[in-house]
Amino acid sequence: MTVVKAAASHQLYDELVAIVGQERVNDNPVIISAYSKDACHLEAERPGIVVMPNSVEEVQKIVKLCAKTKSPIMPSGGRNGICGACLPRVPNAVMLDMVNMKKLVKLDEDVMTVTVESGMRWAELIHILDNHGYKLGFRGPYGGNAATIAGSVSINSMGYAASKFGPAPEGVVSLEVVLPSGEIVRTGSAWNKDAQVFTRYSSFADLTGIFLGDHGTLGVKTKLTLKIYPNAPFSSYIDLGFTNLEDAAIAFLEIQKRGLTEELNCLLARESADTYFPGLLDSHPGINATIHSVIMETDQQLAERKVQIIREIGQELKGKDLGNFAAQIHWAEKFNEVQPMYNNGFWLNTCHLRPIVRLPELMKRMRTIFKKYNLEKNGIKWIADALAVDRAYTAAWVTIFAPTRDKMELAEKAWNEMLDAAIETGGCPYWNGLLWENRTLEKVEENFIQLYRTLKNAIDPDNIMAPNVFEGGY
Amino acid sequence: MAKVNFPNLEPFKDELWLCGRCGDCSLADKIVASDRGVNHPCGVKNVLGFETYSAKGRIMVINDILDGNLEINQDIVDLAYACNICKNCQETCMATADGIRIPDMMEALRKDLVANGFSVQKHEEIENSIINEFNPYKETKDFRLKVFGDREFPEKAEVVYFTGCTSSYREKEIAVTTVELLSKIGINYTVLPDERCCGSILLRLGREKIFGDLTKHNIESIKRTGAKMVVTACAGCYRTWKIDVIEAGYKYDFQVLHITEFLDELISKGVASFELEDRLRVTYHDPCHLGRHSEVYEAPRRVIESIGNVELVEMTTNKRYAHCCGSGGGLKGTYGDLANEVAGNRIREAEETGAEFLLTACPFCFRGLKDGARHIGSDIKVLDLPTFLLDTKISKSMKRVKEEPLKLKFMEYLANHPMIFDGLKKGAIIEYEIEDSRFHIEVTGKREIIANPQRADNPDVELMFSPAAVTTLVTFDSEDKYAEQFGKFFKEPTDLEWIRFNLRLNIVKLLMKGYRKFAQKAGLI
Ligand SMILES: Cc1cc2nc3c(=O)[nH]c(=O)nc-3n(C[C@H](O)[C@H](O)[C@H](O)COP(=O)(O)OP(=O)(O)OC[C@H]3O[C@@H](n4cnc5c(N)ncnc54)[C@H](O)[C@@H]3O)c2cc1C
Ligand code: SF4
Ligand code: SF4
Repeated sequence: MTVVKAAASHQLYDELVAIVGQERVNDNPVIISAYSKDACHLEAERPGIVVMPNSVEEVQKIVKLCAKTKSPIMPSGGRNGICGACLPRVPNAVMLDMVNMKKLVKLDEDVMTVTVESGMRWAELIHILDNHGYKLGFRGPYGGNAATIAGSVSINSMGYAASKFGPAPEGVVSLEVVLPSGEIVRTGSAWNKDAQVFTRYSSFADLTGIFLGDHGTLGVKTKLTLKIYPNAPFSSYIDLGFTNLEDAAIAFLEIQKRGLTEELNCLLARESADTYFPGLLDSHPGINATIHSVIMETDQQLAERKVQIIREIGQELKGKDLGNFAAQIHWAEKFNEVQPMYNNGFWLNTCHLRPIVRLPELMKRMRTIFKKYNLEKNGIKWIADALAVDRAYTAAWVTIFAPTRDKMELAEKAWNEMLDAAIETGGCPYWNGLLWENRTLEKVEENFIQLYRTLKNAIDPDNIMAPNVFEGGY
Repeated sequence: MAKVNFPNLEPFKDELWLCGRCGDCSLADKIVASDRGVNHPCGVKNVLGFETYSAKGRIMVINDILDGNLEINQDIVDLAYACNICKNCQETCMATADGIRIPDMMEALRKDLVANGFSVQKHEEIENSIINEFNPYKETKDFRLKVFGDREFPEKAEVVYFTGCTSSYREKEIAVTTVELLSKIGINYTVLPDERCCGSILLRLGREKIFGDLTKHNIESIKRTGAKMVVTACAGCYRTWKIDVIEAGYKYDFQVLHITEFLDELISKGVASFELEDRLRVTYHDPCHLGRHSEVYEAPRRVIESIGNVELVEMTTNKRYAHCCGSGGGLKGTYGDLANEVAGNRIREAEETGAEFLLTACPFCFRGLKDGARHIGSDIKVLDLPTFLLDTKISKSMKRVKEEPLKLKFMEYLANHPMIFDGLKKGAIIEYEIEDSRFHIEVTGKREIIANPQRADNPDVELMFSPAAVTTLVTFDSEDKYAEQFGKFFKEPTDLEWIRFNLRLNIVKLLMKGYRKFAQKAGLI
C-alpha cells in the first residue's frame, strides 16, 4: 500500500520495483525527507531513493543491480546513529532501510547463540530472548529502542552491559554479509555448512572482524549470530559519591578491573546530575562525581557479596555510599535515559573511548571550553558521563544541549573545540562518521588506513558500497 | 515555488527543535527492556513501512516544509491526512514533559493546507454535509431520530444521551442498544430532538469554521432539557465535549460522561449489575479519544470485570500505549484500505489473547475493527460495550467486591498522613499495589490528598509493596519515620519486606510534579 506516491524518476526505480514491488520503493522528496538525517544535526547528501528489503534474496538482487549499474548504495538501520554514518556522501544513492528484516532466525540453546536478521532492534531482541529465559551480553547502545543490531556492530557501538561484555561487536559470533558483488559470505564457524554457528574463531582468519565497525562500506549485513546467556534474576545496585573526579576515577578503575559489574557508569561532574535528574545530589552537597553499579547474577548471595565488595572498594578509596536509587533507575529505564534530556535542547555529542585514568584530564579541558563560551549564561546545559568498558577504559560521553535554534551557532563552536579536546587528550572515537572523520583521518597512520583501502578496493572495486565513507570532506 | 503560509504550524517551531530523532515513536518495543508497554506505536507506519509516516519522519518533513526545503503539493496533503491523530507517538515520546505534540501539529498542518487552498474533495463534501444536514454522512437532518423507531423521549430529563452522528446514521445498533440499556436500568434520560454533529470530524480534518455554531446549538438544546448530565457512547463526541469545546472557550454547566463511566458509577452504587450465563474470555480495545486523549482507561475495564462469568484479558498494547483501530483522524474516510490494514493489525493483536470477543466503546472503533476483522478473515466477534451488556442478565443486586483489610488499613493510614505527600503538586497521582489489590492517592491541593480505592487511569508512579512492608509502615506515627523506612525497604529489600516501583511518566514530567522532594524525604536521593 502506498499513500505518498513515488516520483518514479530515479534511474533504478523500475528495476527496484521489479525486485521488491512498488510499496517498498520510493523516491518522492517527501518520503526522502525522513531519511535526510540520523539522530544528530549533521547532513550529507539526501538519498536518491529508499528501498525496504524483506529478505536476503532481495538484498542480494538490489546489490547486484547496483553492482551492474555501478550505482551507490547505502545501508541504514534505525538511522539512530549520532554521527551521520548512514548518510550517503554521494548524490542519488540507493538507501536500504533495513528495519523490515527483523526475524529471529534461530535460537540455538545448545551453543548459546541467537541468529537474527540485521534490522532487529536491541530492545526487541531483549524482549524475545527474555521470553525464552535468556539475555544478551552487550545489551545495546542507549538508543537501543530504535538502533538495529547490524547498525550498532557496524559502528562499534557502546552501551548497556559493556562493563561486563565489552562493546557491541564483542558479542558477535558470525555474520552473513552480502558483498558489493552480490555474493554472500558467512563468517565464523558458519564457513562449515554442516556445523552449528557456535564460534567466531575457527580454522581461518577472523573474517568477521573485517566487517565489524566497517560503517557499511564492505557489504550489507543480513544476519548476525550473537552470544546469549541465561537470564540473571538477582540484581544488586549501589551508588557511590566522591568529592572529586580524581578519586572517583581511581575507584571506578578498581571496580572495573575486578569485573564485578554488569553495568558501571560514572557521572563525571555534579552539574551532570542536574541535567540528568535535577535534585539527585541535593542531599549531598560535597559530592562532585558519582559511580553507579549494577550487578546481575544467577545467584542471590553472589549478587549481594559483589555489591558488598564494591561498597568496600568505594569506601576504602574515599567514596561515600549514597544508596542505590540512581543505579536502579538507570537500569530500569533502559534505552529511555537520554530522551528526557532532549528537553534541554538539541544535543551535540562528543562520544569517544578513553582509558579511565584519563577522564579527569578530559573534564578539565571541557570545563575550560564551557567557561570560554559561557555555556551556563547562554542556557546551554551539558552532561558528562563515562560508561565502563572492558577492564580499564570507558565510553566518555560529554554532550551539550542547544536550547533553541538561535543558540546552535554558539553551541557548535564550543562543540568543535570539545571534539578537538577529546582527540588531543588521547580519545579514540568508537563511531566515526561525519562527526569525527576529518579529525580521525588527520591522525590515522598511513599504513593502517592504506590496508583498509586495499581491502575495500579488493572487495568493492567499483566503490558502490557506502562510497566515500572514511574519505573525509564533510 | 508558490509561497504558502503556515500560521498554525509555525508556533510549533520551538517544540520541533526538541525532537532528537530517537525513533522511539516509530520502532520502540519497550515491553521488557523498560517495562513500559510501548510496542511499535504508529499503526500507520507499521502498515506503510517508510519512516516518513512515523512521528519522527513527519517532524523531519514539517521541518523541511517550514525551512522551505519541500514544495507544498498533493504529496504533503497525502501525508498530512495519512495519520490517525491517535497520539500514541506523543504518549511514547519522552523528549518533553507531555511528549512532542505531533497530533496537534498534524491538525495545524491540515488547517494551514485547507487555508492555502489544498483541499481534499471528500473533506469538502463532509464539511458541506455538516453545514447543510448537521451530519457528515449526507443524511437528511430530519431523519436523525429515525434510528430509535417509535420510541418517544421526554422533553425534560436528568440525563441526555448524546447519540452522535455515527451511531445515529451508521452504527445504529449502538444507538438502539444504548437507549435500551438505559431504559432497562431505569435511567431518567432523553435524547435531543435536534442534536447536531459535535464537530469532531471537522476539527480533525482542519476545517473548524462552523464548529462554534454547532457547539452553541447543542449546548442550548441540552440546556432546554434541564439535564445535569450528558452521556455519550461515542469516544469522538466525548473528547470533543471534554476537551475541544472547552479549549474553544465555550462553557457548560452539565457533566459529560462517557457511557462506560456512567455505567461504572451505576455498578459501584449498586444500581445495576451484569452477568453472563457461560464463561467467556473477552479483550478490550481502548478508543484513542477515550483513552489517550481523555485518560479514561479504567472505567470500561471495571465495567467489563464486573460482569459475572467474564474474564478480561489484555492485548499486548493496551491503555496508554494501545494501538489505534485505524479509524481515527479522518483516516477511514480518506484512506479506507489503509484504515482496514491498521485495523487488521489490531485484530491480530486481539486474536493473540485467545479472546472470543473484542469489545470496544466507540462507534468508529467498532466499525473500524469489524471491517478489520473482515479484511483479514478473522472470526473474532467485535462488539460495542453497551451492545454486549444488553445481552447479559441485568439486575440490581449489587456484587460487592470485598476489599482487602490491609489495603483499607493502608489507605486509611495514608489519608491520615498527608504530609507524606508534601511537595507534590496538585494532580499528582500515585498508584499503590499490595498483592494484586490496588488503590491510588491523588494530590488535590497543598497537603491535601484523596485515597481512592480504585486503580488510577494514568498514574505518575506505581509503588508495589510486600504485605509485610505495609504492616510495618502503618505503625509509624511520624511521617518522617515512615519516609525513612520506606526508603530502607526500597534500598535494602529483604525477601519479606520490600518496595519496588515503576516510573510511569518521564523524569522531566515527574520533576515538574514535585517528585524530587518526595524522593528526597524517602532518602532515595
Ligand atoms: C537516544 C540515543 C542514545 C544513544 N546512545 C548511544 C550509546 O550509548 N552508544 C552508542 O554507541 N550509540 C548511541 N546512540 C547512537 C545509536 O544508537 C548507535 O550508533 C546505533 O548503533 C545506531 O544503530 P542504527 O541501526 O540506527 O544504525 P544507523 O545509524 O542506521 O547506521 C549506522 C551505520 O551502520 C551501517 N549499517 C546499518 N545497517 C547495516 C547493515 N545491515 N549492513 C551494513 N551496514 C549497516 C550504516 O551504513 C551506518 O554506517 C544513541 C542514539 C540515540 C538516539
Ligand atoms: S518525536 Fe519524540 S519519540 Fe519521536 S523521534 Fe522525536 S524525540 Fe523521539
Ligand atoms: S498520531 Fe498516531 S498515526 Fe499519527 S503519527 Fe502519531 S502514532 Fe502515527
